[in-house]
Amino acid sequence: MLFNSYEFIFVFLPVTLAGFFLLGLSSRNLALGWIVAASLAFYAWWRPINVLIIAPSIFVNFVLARWLLRLAADKTRAGLARLVLVLGIVFNVAFLGYFKYVNFLATAANDLVGTNFVLTQIVLPLGISFITFQKIAFLIDVHGRRIPSFSLRDYCLFVLFFPQLIAGPIVHYREMMPQFQHAPCRWDKENIAVGVSLFVFGLFKKVVLADGISEHVSPIYEMAAAGSEITLLPAWIAAIGFTLQIYFDFSGYSDMALGLARFFGVRLPANFDSPLKATNIIDFWLRWHMTLTRFLTAYLYNPLALWLTRRRMAKGLPGLGGRAPSAGAFLQLLAGPTLLTMFVSGLWHGAGYLFILWGLLHGVYLSVNHAWRLFGPRLRTETADRFMRPTGFVLTFLSVAVAMVLFRSANVGAAKELLQGMVGLNGVSLPQQIYAQLGPLTALLQSFVSASTDMSAQELVLAMAWLGVLLLVALLFPNTLQLMARYEPALGVHPRPAAPLAFLRALDWTPTAPWAVAMCALVVATVMRLGGKSEFLYWQF
Amino acid sequence: MTDQDLLTAFTRILRNLLGDDSIVLALNTRRSDVDGWDSFMYVNFIVAVELELKIKFSVADVESFETVGDIAAEARTLLG
Repeated sequence: MLFNSYEFIFVFLPVTLAGFFLLGLSSRNLALGWIVAASLAFYAWWRPINVLIIAPSIFVNFVLARWLLRLAADKTRAGLARLVLVLGIVFNVAFLGYFKYVNFLATAANDLVGTNFVLTQIVLPLGISFITFQKIAFLIDVHGRRIPSFSLRDYCLFVLFFPQLIAGPIVHYREMMPQFQHAPCRWDKENIAVGVSLFVFGLFKKVVLADGISEHVSPIYEMAAAGSEITLLPAWIAAIGFTLQIYFDFSGYSDMALGLARFFGVRLPANFDSPLKATNIIDFWLRWHMTLTRFLTAYLYNPLALWLTRRRMAKGLPGLGGRAPSAGAFLQLLAGPTLLTMFVSGLWHGAGYLFILWGLLHGVYLSVNHAWRLFGPRLRTETADRFMRPTGFVLTFLSVAVAMVLFRSANVGAAKELLQGMVGLNGVSLPQQIYAQLGPLTALLQSFVSASTDMSAQELVLAMAWLGVLLLVALLFPNTLQLMARYEPALGVHPRPAAPLAFLRALDWTPTAPWAVAMCALVVATVMRLGGKSEFLYWQF
Repeated sequence: MTDQDLLTAFTRILRNLLGDDSIVLALNTRRSDVDGWDSFMYVNFIVAVELELKIKFSVADVESFETVGDIAAEARTLLG
């Protein structure tokens, strides 16, 4: 069931909330049990077999976690505890691997060594990548004694909570369960007002902004996939347009998840913090899909870097950092683990060469950024900052947009076509109607600009207008977390100091009549577009 | 070792790692309070502390430290 579908908004959500608040009047246990039942219904709606596929995995993880819990209490059995943890991680990775990667591995083997593995039809359970990562984090946390106890009901609530079940944020048990244990399970007008507003902001971002620009971007990717040459302007519209589409799509989804959880009195961790405003790629990853970055850093990068650093320093070799860092330490301790982590990130996003390339490219970006910090000039003056920040912003934005072409393209050929177009190798063309109006400029430009019928003047102007408006919103407006900071919309988001300008202060969300009118306007704009062809980009993961 | 001894050692190690002599650590200092102390430098800091004090933190503890005081507390436990 999609968050932006009629059945979710007008049937599932009202029924679930009514049941929760009614049961909450008599028993917290019943109310929380109701969330589990509703979450199962939510998950089963699209394809009931999803529940049958995912249930054994949930059960096996529960058994392993209970075993780990007993072992963690006994320090003499640390070896066995580690073995059970490894078994659990291997089980989860294998489970994910079977459903998501078997066909990809078969294709890769066929491509690389000429085998003839036959691809099989495998039903991919919805949100399996998110669910698997969350369960791995749970096992690691139980093993690390960060979860002192849990019941079957609490475990199911944590694993199945529908607002974040399919596409995150990826949460920790220890940040969720205390909230469920203290949730009022009663109608709370502030939670409802904040929840509705977050949901509406998210729905608007998704249905109006992301789906709106998608209509201008998708045809270009389809043309590239069909083998057409994509010239300079459409190629850049595709790259920047998709960057904006996926940003509004996924951050819109994340806002909706925050809003839905808030109805139950629960705050989810933030997943987006205006990443397109980042002035370097490290900063970008601290603001984009923040809970995935947190997971990969905590459970993959850090343990790997820690192990490598210990080994290196035990041999008497210098570590990273210091006043004269060495290239060897950089490559071994930073670039290596970074590339591996981003490779896994790419593979996690999808079973395909282009996702892997996308991840590796970001790994290279991050390594270059770190190399600049370590080996580059120390430019800490205000004048240097005035130059470096805008430069960093433009470089970061362009790097992200280039990588997004790999993320979105249907195949390697399409990506190549678009990237060639972006550097001008496919030439520059303008719609016939605009080209005919160039007048005396025609003679000047005709050597490198041609007329084209691929895109009409109206389409080009509309696409550019969408890009302009969405860039304005993404880069200049405060984000949802900032607008609503006074009401702690996400875990760890606290009120910031009042904005210096009255105009900006007026943008702070409050449950007042003007904001109610504004939210109604967003609802009207959104409802008018509901029901169109729409799918969340991240649900496929 | 007292908390003050540990703070002095931690400050010296971090100053060397980040090449910044203006860093002053307190028990309630968080990583985000120190410019440049990102997750990459954090790992290096932890290993440098381990080598200096001849202790070894568990991976789970390394993940759970939120303040310099948390690191100092675990270091004191491991030092016995």
